[in-house]
Formats: sequence, C-alpha cells, structure tokens
Amino acid sequence: MESDAVFRALTRRPRFDVPRGPRGRRQSCRGPMVKQGLGYVLVVAALVGAPAPLAAQVDFTGQWAPVYHEDNPERIPGPELGDYTGLPINDAARLQADSWDADRISVVSAYQCRPHSSDYGMRGLGNLRVWADLDANQQLLAFRTYMPAWGSERTIWMDGRPHPPEYAEHTFQGFSTGAWDGNMLTVTTTHLKTNYFRRNGVPSSDRRTVTEHWTKHGDVLTVVTVVADPVFLTEPLVRSQNWLLDPGQALPPFTCEYAPEVPGAQTVPNHLPGANPYLTEFADWYGLSLEAARGGAETMYPEYRQRMGAPHAAPPDRCQRYCVCAGFGCDVNPPRPAPAARPAPVAAPPARPR
Amino acid sequence: MSAGARTRLLLAACVLGVSIGASAQGPPGAPPGPPRPPRAAAPVDLTGTWVSVISEDWRWRMVTPLKGDAASVPLRPEGFAVVNAWDPAKDEAAGLQCKAYGAPAILRLPTRVRISWQDDATLKLETDTGTQTRLFRFGAEAPPKTAPSWQGHSVAQWERPPQLPGPVNSIPIFATRTGTRGRSLEVTTTNLRAGYLRKNGVPYSEKTTVTEYFDYHKEPNGDEWFTVTTVVRDPQYLNGPFITSSDFKKEPDGSRWNPTPCSAR
Repeated sequence: MESDAVFRALTRRPRFDVPRGPRGRRQSCRGPMVKQGLGYVLVVAALVGAPAPLAAQVDFTGQWAPVYHEDNPERIPGPELGDYTGLPINDAARLQADSWDADRISVVSAYQCRPHSSDYGMRGLGNLRVWADLDANQQLLAFRTYMPAWGSERTIWMDGRPHPPEYAEHTFQGFSTGAWDGNMLTVTTTHLKTNYFRRNGVPSSDRRTVTEHWTKHGDVLTVVTVVADPVFLTEPLVRSQNWLLDPGQALPPFTCEYAPEVPGAQTVPNHLPGANPYLTEFADWYGLSLEAARGGAETMYPEYRQRMGAPHAAPPDRCQRYCVCAGFGCDVNPPRPAPAARPAPVAAPPARPR
Repeated sequence: MSAGARTRLLLAACVLGVSIGASAQGPPGAPPGPPRPPRAAAPVDLTGTWVSVISEDWRWRMVTPLKGDAASVPLRPEGFAVVNAWDPAKDEAAGLQCKAYGAPAILRLPTRVRISWQDDATLKLETDTGTQTRLFRFGAEAPPKTAPSWQGHSVAQWERPPQLPGPVNSIPIFATRTGTRGRSLEVTTTNLRAGYLRKNGVPYSEKTTVTEYFDYHKEPNGDEWFTVTTVVRDPQYLNGPFITSSDFKKEPDGSRWNPTPCSAR
C-alpha cells in the first residue's frame, strides 16, 4: 500500500486552481497551497534528479571553426589530379577516378551545387555549427549540424530510434544516430548517396557505413571518421579532423546557381581508360613514385617506405606548388624573392568626374 | 496519507533520485577514500602495440617533403627562414639526426608504438621509428632542472571533466553535472630540445609546449584504435596552435616491431 501511495503521489496531477482575489488577480500562495506546490516541485525534481541515459555527457553545441593543419592543399584549393595517396581504395575506385575530368562540373548540371556528403563534408570545407534539440522533458533528442559548404544540414538522432530499412531513401547527409561512451559521442550513419572520398573523382558508394567518434578537449573538437565501403575500399578509411570553438563565428546561407558554362556541350567530359594524360603530374611535382600516388591500403603502413620505389621522375630541388598554405591563404605558386629594385611608381589617374 | 506525510515521501523520492543520478555519473557520488593509482584508475586500456595508419598528410609523412614545403603549418616568418635553410647534411654532421623525432612530431611519423606501464604512475610509450621513449608521469609537477631533450618532460592525467573555477552554485535538483565520465589521457610536455615538426626542417623551438589527448575507440569490425589530438604551441615559430590528430590501430602482437635509428633525410 505504501508503494501505491508513492505512485499516486508521483502521478497525481497537481491542482493549480490558485485562489484569486476580488479583481481576479492571483493571491500569493501560502498555507495549504505551499505544500501542494512544493509537492509538484518535488515530483519534477525527482524526475530531474533521476538517471538520464539520454542526457548529454558533453556539450558539443556551438560555433566551430575548422583547423586545416592537415592536408590543407587538398581541402582548401582542392586535390591534385591523380592523387590517391593515403586512401585504401581498390581498382574499381581507381578506374572511376582516372576517368574524372573536372570539366564535368561545368557541363553537367547534376555536378553543379552537388553537396558534400556528411562524411566528406567533415573533412572538406567544414565551418560548423552544432545545436541540440531537447524534448519536453529536457532530454536530448538530437544534435543538429549546419555547414555553409553546400548548405549541409544534418540530424544526429540521440533518442535511440533505429535506422530505417535498407530500401529507405538515401541522401547526401544520410541517417545518423548517436550514442555515448563516456565523454565520447559515437555516431553511426547509413543511407548515404554516392559521393567521393576525395574531390578529384575518387568515388564513395551508397553502400558505405560511417562511424564517427566526437570528443571535445577544452576548445578543441576532434571527430574521427571511419568509413567502411564494400564497393570501393579494401579496409575502412580512418581519418580525424579538428575544429576550434569560435563563439564569434556567424555562418552565412549557401547559395548556388546552376549555369551552363559550356553551351552546346554534347558529351560528359571524361577520360577513357588508359587515356588520361594528367595522372603522372602529381607524382612528378612532388617527387613520388607512381605506384605510391595510386593509393591502396598497403601504402598506408610504415613498412611501405621500404618498398616504395623510386620517384617517377627526378624530383625538383625544392617545393614548387602549394608550399605555403595556412587557412585559406594557399597559393599554388611558390613565394617569389623580392625584386631587387622597385619600378618607378605609376602616377595615379585623375579622379573621375562625378 | 496526510499532506505532510506525502511531502516527506516526495522529498525522499527526490533525494533518492538525485543521489542515484549523481552516483551514476561518477565522482560526485563516489565514496571518499584515497585515490587509486593511475594504473588502477585507467578508464581505458592503451597498452599494447599500435601502428600509425597514414591516411592523412601522406606526402608530408611517408616521404621527406621537398625543401621549402611547409603547407598546413601556421608558421611565422621566422619559421620560414629556418625551413628555407634546412640542410640535412649539416644536421648529420652535428649529430642531430633525431630533430624530427621529438615529442611534437614523433607521432606524426610512420611508426609503431608500444605502450606499457613502467610503474603504477608512469606510462611508457616507445616508438620503433627512431627508437624513442616517452614517459608519461602521472602526478608529476614541474620538470626537473635537466637539459632539454627530444622527448622533454611529460605530465599525464586522466582527463578531468569540465570544472568551474570555484564551487558549483547551481541547485542540484535543477541542474546536474554532465561530462563526468572522462576516458581520455591528457599529456602535457615541456622542456623540449628544439627540433622539426616535419623531416624537411619545419621548426619548433625550445619554448614549445605540447598538449596531447589520447582517445580509445573500437570499431564495428572489432578493430581497436586510439586517436591522439596533438596541440603544439610555440611562440617563436608558430602564429597559433598547430593542431593535428593521428590515428593508430592496435596490432595483435609485436611481431612487426622494427626498430630503426633516426634519419635526417
């Protein structure tokens, strides 16, 4: 009976018929009403204090500025053609990547304004805003993210819902659920559209599954991205990227217009197998062996250095491309020495009459 | 039941709820007592042999980059002057082949690492590349007055949850503390000998401080990994923190351990 009494007390709907004065104003709560109000507060408090498995362990919300201290030339100006280094890809991926012609973006409207998928987006142009959706019980329902690059908005469900069946719609952001492991948030994403592992044509399939591990250390956010793709990878691709908390950051909307940049084009720009003349440039510019530039899981482990082979061509004496890259200041040309003498200044033109 | 009895009952339920919530989240509800040794208190097991998997910065890590290539590093002009003056023959002649194997850079090199407990309060990290040894000392204070070294002096702790600078003033029934289940290893390293962030002479100075966070994760296919987020601060050569994160996969044994000496080239 005692437990029944507790149950009734906890579940009874409190009465809030606050006595009103002669002019309809609420009177102050005193006497018996105090106890009833206190009972309501205590019920709420008991619920608040109870274990909350859905509550956030770490607050990832806020404005995050990306840190491009890894692979800056690939992520900001964009990857070189034929650079597949560090990717555990198979021959099917190489075949598709070798056919890539960047003119495709100018000709095929489907490639214009094509969003980055949620896995590539975290590696690419990643200014990031994270916010949380709470339900009526103040429990974490979902994290949401927005990246201005291609206006990518994403939901990471935290309420324990299952992933939809395989035949459900695939999207660029996919379907994501999250779970806590101490202070680490682990996110699983399925139902992705085909996209790319590197935006020089290295493809990713719509059968891939992405696992992410989010950690926050002070003002540093680190997200490890693990992609398993049975179509194009021989082992999972594991990369990690970092952001700095930037409360002053304001993210703009993303606008993209489709425009036929090559009027009258009748074909999809491509290179037929074995006919791409640009695939050796990358290895030559940076003094690498051609085999290494083609990627593959075996090239990602320390012992590969022993059998890497000689550079495809004699390497240049010093860096010639993208030598000084920090943030968005990444110049393809090497810094030039200052001229010995400045040319005579050119006289300023007269002001235009108004 | 009287109103008073009901109120007392609810108060008990409330207190019970708060205490359960607190104890479920760790330290606030933990019974008082002497702290456990760091080895016994480890929230994750980082021991074993791990291999760096080079899926990022491949052409700056798997090969010695071309002279003058400092891409991605937030260098000050003073740093570029050093980059452009890099001469591996000079380093060899001076016996400085290990300049790119110091604590700020060693975990960016292709390497295997072996992690073990030297004692209950010291975690040892060895690399086969360059045969370097780092000691992460829990509870250690300022570095002893010794000469700076490639691996410096490292102080470790299991990362603590975010804390206010003073007592928490919020009402427990309205706000509980979250983020209390830390599982990361935090290491701060100072007393470093000047060296290179990359093998082609991208410099760091003796004023450098390195903060690292080691996070363990297990993947759906059963693979075990740790990712170390490395924050290098150097007021002499960097115009801000240099932040990278490096991924290591656990190996079943040490059969691929292959010690090699430092190389300046």
